[in-house]
Amino acid sequence: MADIELVELARHYWQGRTEVRALDRVSLRIGAGEFVSVVGRSGSGKTTLLDLVGLLLRPTSGKVLIDGVDTTRLKDGQRADLRGRRVGFIFQQYNLLPTLTVLENVLLPLRYTKPNVKNGRRRALELLELVGLEDRLKHRPDELSGGQQQRVAIARALINRPALVLGDEPTGAVDTKTSEELVQLMLRLNREEQVTFVIVTHDLELAATADRTIRLKDGRVLSDEPVEHAA
Amino acid sequence: MEILRNINRRKLRSALTVLGIVIGVFALTTMGAMAEHFNMLLDGGVRWFGSSIQVGAPDGQAGILSLSKIDQIRRVEGVEALFPAYSFTVKPGSVSAVSLGIPDLIMSRDPDENAYNALKTTIASGHDLGADSRGQVVLGSSITTEFKKKVGDTIDLPVRPHDARPDFVNHTFTVVGILDPTQTAPDNFAYVSLTDAQMLFKESLPVAIRDTVDPTTVTQSITAYSRPGASLSELDRIADRINQQVSGVKATRPSDVVNSFKSGGATFTAITMAAALLALVIGGLSVVNTMFMAVTERFREIGLKKAVGAHTVDILREYLLEATLIGLLGGSIGYVLGVGLTNLLNLLGRSSNLQLFLVTPSLTVIALGFAVALGALAGVIPALRAARMDPVLALRTAN
Repeated sequence: MADIELVELARHYWQGRTEVRALDRVSLRIGAGEFVSVVGRSGSGKTTLLDLVGLLLRPTSGKVLIDGVDTTRLKDGQRADLRGRRVGFIFQQYNLLPTLTVLENVLLPLRYTKPNVKNGRRRALELLELVGLEDRLKHRPDELSGGQQQRVAIARALINRPALVLGDEPTGAVDTKTSEELVQLMLRLNREEQVTFVIVTHDLELAATADRTIRLKDGRVLSDEPVEHAA
Repeated sequence: MEILRNINRRKLRSALTVLGIVIGVFALTTMGAMAEHFNMLLDGGVRWFGSSIQVGAPDGQAGILSLSKIDQIRRVEGVEALFPAYSFTVKPGSVSAVSLGIPDLIMSRDPDENAYNALKTTIASGHDLGADSRGQVVLGSSITTEFKKKVGDTIDLPVRPHDARPDFVNHTFTVVGILDPTQTAPDNFAYVSLTDAQMLFKESLPVAIRDTVDPTTVTQSITAYSRPGASLSELDRIADRINQQVSGVKATRPSDVVNSFKSGGATFTAITMAAALLALVIGGLSVVNTMFMAVTERFREIGLKKAVGAHTVDILREYLLEATLIGLLGGSIGYVLGVGLTNLLNLLGRSSNLQLFLVTPSLTVIALGFAVALGALAGVIPALRAARMDPVLALRTAN
């Protein structure tokens, strides 16, 4: 589990001569084990926020603290290590490697983080069973449906027992029914594996299932409130 | 494994890239084998002429020397051994306008000369000529294959031309020994004893003077030696002294002969290697192109790998390995094809004494090493580009 703290986090970039504030001094805290959705229009800064928290991007100013560690002070290699061990990613377009089998795709992060490979394999099989793909181990991604591919990606995100999983429109490319299944799967993993989930989404149903919804507008937090679940 | 599958992924493009390297290494192997063969020939010349002093008739005079010159030259300081030398063409009357090898020659051989010359010949089968043997011949390895002879066979020398004059004479010699291959001149030589060489010499003279000459008192040329291992400059000085102290002879400075061999070899090597390297560079560019395409196509994969913890060096390593493998694959195929072709051509050229190629271990190392290095080198820039990609940019690229 991870405790994430954003302090005055900003990311600017130049578009021609105009400075765009993709994220404008955002401060917030996401506690361990939370399931948070981030919503907002295109250009509101959702993806930038996710990239900064995922250490894929360096902020223009401000800090990202993961379990109290100021990640902005880390070198690129250290950030890559931290990313590999503590953070899992789920993308809208799955981003599976087409030349690898389902099992190999799930094992991919271990290639770079190099833990105990034998345990890693056991873990991969366990996760693939959990996402219901235990009979598709040797299949290639193009032999799977979109929902199945996304489940492979979810298993891959969890292989290193990360503290935090970041989802970038994880249900954006699948139909409603599949979307619901994926949401239920992520919720279950959030409970069972005690993993913090931060999901950027346009999908209001997905947002409604989260513990908390952060609404962004023009790079700033418009609202940040817990979701009322019907009992 | 993933790398092999990536190469396999775009079969046509990978095949074309590999083909580029194949052609380059194929050219390098065949051209290199030609240069190696040629250099071995020249190297033999360098060793032979770099360890002996050739003494002949003065420039512009017919090639006849009195054997008494031997005693005069022996008195020159530094001279330790002298051998009368005769050479005749094996196939008189045959026309060869351009020759890439050494012609077949009948040479006189004194087994003692081996001790002085840097180019040693050793007997592969049979035995060497005796000091006073008659009607016997020791054959070099190429001439043995060319005439399909073995020890105990006979051979008529010189070979009768198809349009021989009625007064053409030749003699039947028994093959008593066959030499080990030297990859240079002696492979094409048929060695006879001094006495037999003098007989052949007399028969080679014009009829008008043939009967006035006692063949035991004359020679075509003389090969002079200093102590074994004497340096080129020592031999040059001895040649100068021979010219000063002995009249009616011309000693050639060994360094003059050696330099002409070396410059010829350098030119030939430069031409062949330039052609082969050109082919290889073109092959290398095709690897660069393929790897750039591969990097562009796989932006998202690179981004993803970085997202799951890959360091810059991890990505660099993967792409370099892929390029190197393409180089190795193409190199191996090209090398095998090249060796196959050169062997085939050598085999076909056997009967006509045309051995053009020699694949040496160093050539093997160079050809394969170059292919691998080229692949790796061609992969460096694309791999660096891949490795340095901003993961966010890489991930969000649409493809």
